Amino acid sequence: MWVYIVRRLLLVVPVIIGVMTITFILVSLIPTTTRVAAYTTARDAKPGTPEWNHAIAALGLNKPVPVQWGIYILNSLTLHWGYTSPHSYATQTGKLGATAWPVATVLGWYLPYTLELAALSLLIILAIAIPLGNLSAVYRNRPLDQGTRVLSFSGYAFPTFLLAAVVLLAAVVLSGGFTPDCNGLSYHYLDWYYSWPPPACLPGSPTTLPSWIGPHENTSPTGFPTIDALIHWNTPSGLYLAWQSVQRMILPALVIAYTYTASILRFVRNSMLEVMNLDFVRTARAKGLPERVVVNRHAGRNSLNVTITILGLTFAFFITGFPIIEDVFQLRGIGYLFAIAIQPVEDFGLIFGSTLLLTIIVVAANIIVDVLYAYLDPRVRLG
Amino acid sequence: MAAGKAPSEALEPTSGSATAGKRPNPRLDQYRRTFYFLRRNRLAMFGLIVVLFWVGVALYSPFYSAPSSHLEAYCSSTATEGTNSSCTQTICTYEPGTVPTGTPPCYSVPFEEPSVLPPTISLHPLSLGPMPLGSLTLDPSLGIMYNIMAGLIKGAPWSIGIAAAIVGTGALLGLLLGSLAGYRGGYTDETIMRFTDIFLAIPGLFLVLITLAAVGIYFTTLEARVGILIVTFVVTWWPIYTRIVRGQVLVTREQKYVEAARASGAGAGRILRKHIIPNSLYPVFVQLSLDIGTIPLLLGAIIFLGYQIWPSGVYFPEWGTIAADAVTNLQPFLLQCSLASSYTPCVFPWWQIFFPGVTLFLFCISVNFLSDGLRDALDPRLRR
Repeated sequence: MWVYIVRRLLLVVPVIIGVMTITFILVSLIPTTTRVAAYTTARDAKPGTPEWNHAIAALGLNKPVPVQWGIYILNSLTLHWGYTSPHSYATQTGKLGATAWPVATVLGWYLPYTLELAALSLLIILAIAIPLGNLSAVYRNRPLDQGTRVLSFSGYAFPTFLLAAVVLLAAVVLSGGFTPDCNGLSYHYLDWYYSWPPPACLPGSPTTLPSWIGPHENTSPTGFPTIDALIHWNTPSGLYLAWQSVQRMILPALVIAYTYTASILRFVRNSMLEVMNLDFVRTARAKGLPERVVVNRHAGRNSLNVTITILGLTFAFFITGFPIIEDVFQLRGIGYLFAIAIQPVEDFGLIFGSTLLLTIIVVAANIIVDVLYAYLDPRVRLG
Repeated sequence: MAAGKAPSEALEPTSGSATAGKRPNPRLDQYRRTFYFLRRNRLAMFGLIVVLFWVGVALYSPFYSAPSSHLEAYCSSTATEGTNSSCTQTICTYEPGTVPTGTPPCYSVPFEEPSVLPPTISLHPLSLGPMPLGSLTLDPSLGIMYNIMAGLIKGAPWSIGIAAAIVGTGALLGLLLGSLAGYRGGYTDETIMRFTDIFLAIPGLFLVLITLAAVGIYFTTLEARVGILIVTFVVTWWPIYTRIVRGQVLVTREQKYVEAARASGAGAGRILRKHIIPNSLYPVFVQLSLDIGTIPLLLGAIIFLGYQIWPSGVYFPEWGTIAADAVTNLQPFLLQCSLASSYTPCVFPWWQIFFPGVTLFLFCISVNFLSDGLRDALDPRLRR
């Protein structure tokens, strides 16, 4: 087992270096003036001025390209992912203030929100896809199968941004819509979203607390909003806040689930179909076991093995939907950060940093899934 | 299981059995057989019909022009009747590569409605009306409306063309590299596959967007932007095809007929060209048809996120772009509707998101149905 894990981990090293090399090439393609302009003190610096030279030196642009590459890789591996640009749209919208924050720090604030959303949507996807996929395989080509297929295809074919916007709209309308009040407009439903505290009161130091923890609770131990609220369950608002933060994630998670269930369902259905044709299932039937037992105990459990492998795949898959979902529902996650970072005054540090972070997460998820699969199926680790 | 068996085509029903005397082209016979299986799949036929409809629209679109003459006739007629509601608003048709100026392709519209036109069929008795699918206000400050129907028709060749170009190039690259990797094996295989690993590790939309963000600044004209968009998508897409082709080639090259060809002295090039590639094509074909439907959605997503692909001021007719612009435009209407009272009625422009959305949805889902049907029809193991 350990041999397998070590071998699997070694295989990842060239991939990570390769991904970093790709981002390095892309970063090098950005015009020097743009890169210098994004630097803290050199917004309008002309070539030759001291600010320009300082920025060039700080960015390492006066070194030979291979050296730049080496420095870039080393910095990337040690989480030195550069700084946010104080002039970018993202720093203003994300309330980062006119300081150059280390990219890794900012990503650390936003990541827990994405992970919580991802976990919730993964849960929903699996809760739908596994039973429905199994049923669909059992009732192959019957109305149930056809209906499931059409439904899941429709989720795949619906533009995510349109679906998310329509769902948000419906929620706004159903919850009473907009009402004018003394401060202008306030929306009942959107109160949930737009008042959602930005992670850790961003302009302050990273140790400042989320405002919702309450004045007497001076810690945000994990940074995960729901978990933090649960940790403070005995404060007056602890449990309420936890429930509220789950509520905020439910709609986005449902949209993600509807969009990405299709592919998972197909995998589950196919693997179940394959298992149903194997000899031991026939034996089970021949023994006279009831069909329910054959499907649930024999076939279902064996097809679950294959389903686990696609977990990692799913994750890689639906992480691409996050910028849109988080942008529409105003959830302050990595996707939202990425969405505001690509707006016209781009924040290249954040763009490349968040891509790198998500790539690493996807790769890590794949490793975990592979190891899990090897643990469950001895043929993989020994064969 | 089925791997050891030679493809037993003779046992399966053929529709070409009438040609008993002359032996027809076997390839043609196989296409006919595939189509026979495809025709039995109702969803696939639905998909095929819708896809053909959109291709027809794309072919028709160069000859389509928005009904400007009707508008102008109607404008002048209302003006002579003495109603002071002469033509105040401006409708533009989507024209690729032009910035709206008020001159054609923009036309004045006789309508009192402040900023939107619902789907009309009655503005002129002789025609469908100027905007059968309603209007889309892209820049409220300019008072310029866009004709959604014109956009969708003009956008068909662009959307389908961009998707086909991306997928076609990606599949071609994947076919070349994948068959090379699968057939040669060894270091070639290792090198190519490690490259695909790297590219596949980066989530797709992110790779497209970081590439666009890094190099987009060098491309300013619309044509160049379309070009770089295609290139970035190909960069993201080729590893998927490479992987599929390689997997298929690894299976195919162990077949008996490949061994027979090698035994009778065929070279590597001939074996690849005549035996391996034709026989490992069908999963590529399935994936390819699946991706054509996804790309307009992804384009829409990129526009929606606010990345400026098209040069500013150019309202480019592309389905995803139109849908994304429509969704982005909902915000002012929401505010307007929330403050609606008896004398400021609220017009909620449902058609702005409905028609582009339906277009994208129908295209993508029909392509999906078609590819699913193709998979069933092309894979002998699934024909039952």
